[in-house]
Amino acid sequence: MMDREFLISKWLNNDLNDQELEAFKALEDYDDLMKLTHSLQAFKADDYDTSKELERTLSAIRSSKKQTSWLKSFMRIAAILVICFGIYHYTTTLDTSVSTTMAQKTTISLPDASSVTLNAKSSIVFNKKSWKHERDIRLEGEAFFKVAKGETFNVITKSGTVTVYGTQFNVKQRKNYFEVICYEGLVGVTHNSQETKLKPGDSFLIIDGKLIAKEKESQPSPSWLHNESTFKSLPYKEVLAEFERQYNVNITTKNIDTKQLFSGSFAHNNLDVALQSITLPLQVTYSKVNNTIILTRE
Amino acid sequence: MKKQLHDNICEEHLFSSIFNKYAKDLHDFLYYKFGELLNPKDKVQEAFVKLWQNCAKVTPDKAKSFLFTTANNLMLNEVAHQKVVLKYQQTKPKTSTNENPEFLMQESEYMDKLQRALANLTDAQREAFMMNRVEGKRFKEIAKILDISTKAVEKRIYGALEKLRRDIKEL
Repeated sequence: MMDREFLISKWLNNDLNDQELEAFKALEDYDDLMKLTHSLQAFKADDYDTSKELERTLSAIRSSKKQTSWLKSFMRIAAILVICFGIYHYTTTLDTSVSTTMAQKTTISLPDASSVTLNAKSSIVFNKKSWKHERDIRLEGEAFFKVAKGETFNVITKSGTVTVYGTQFNVKQRKNYFEVICYEGLVGVTHNSQETKLKPGDSFLIIDGKLIAKEKESQPSPSWLHNESTFKSLPYKEVLAEFERQYNVNITTKNIDTKQLFSGSFAHNNLDVALQSITLPLQVTYSKVNNTIILTRE
Repeated sequence: MKKQLHDNICEEHLFSSIFNKYAKDLHDFLYYKFGELLNPKDKVQEAFVKLWQNCAKVTPDKAKSFLFTTANNLMLNEVAHQKVVLKYQQTKPKTSTNENPEFLMQESEYMDKLQRALANLTDAQREAFMMNRVEGKRFKEIAKILDISTKAVEKRIYGALEKLRRDIKEL
């Protein structure tokens, strides 16, 4: 008698020889196994048409390839455009700023025919893109403006805003000091939300928050443009502050009332001559140690 | 050592020959393991598309295991695993009508029992058993498809048969 499991296994693997087949047929569950095998055929998987499916798969590959490559190159172009536009937009809307350090002056042409000359330790910020319809310049320090005719021209400082309508004028905004002198045309100065109109020769001066009256300016342009600083009845400390900016030095004073008024000028190109011009009239002596100048009253 | 003629399958004729070799087996494997609800045909296609996309990385001798693993994962990703119920064709009524209604009812009862019993098999048992009984594959061929030993195939199929018969009797 052959082992039942052995026979069934051989049958499953289609491996029975004639003798084994006879033994298998003699098994009591032969009929059951035949019925099962027969019934199982009804559970056959759906037909799989290999050549049709290959065609379907290849066309899926082709269309996905085409689509991705088309999409990829499109995305690349789009990305480049976005970056270019971004850079263009960023750079053109970026504010332009120019500044000078100690003992330096510079002249800048503005997008229209206007120009600005910056005195030492000053800076301006403006926007080239919006210049056409909005001529705004933010200023820290001192600058001389030649403004071409056109839209209103605003110089915005911490101390106030100067509005111009085609003209030449000087704005000086320093610590506790705000001065506007009009040389040509008409200038409006807004300080503490009050506007003052300046005609040629008029000046507007505020020191420590107080409005100071000044006589008419007779020069056609500020003296600092010609490398000279001129003062008319101004506190001595303003003179010293300007001196420090022009020569990049430190000045300390001994026994000197820096509030006293000073009239006079100093040149920007000769330290010793300049020092004499601001000390002699007040009977002050000076000594130099490196970058520090000590002024003493005898 | 046999030198590989091609180290990748990025050529269409090579790809097609691999398709012709494995697509049907892969389809049947997926069908018997997961049933027809999850679209075994589409999964076969998807697996082959993935093979094409990775054609530079897959050598011809790795293609089969790549395909089976990929397709199997695609299926597993689709749903939390539930019992797989295989559908069966209604046997056509025979022209001779010597079968009485009682016999027909018994017949249909038997098919329902068989269906439930098949669903009760493990995936591993069912895929091997059906490839053998329905697709007529021998142990050795199934072993190659499933990457297991012939002995393991025999064990699965014999185990499946015993379990089926037990279940049919009990149900």
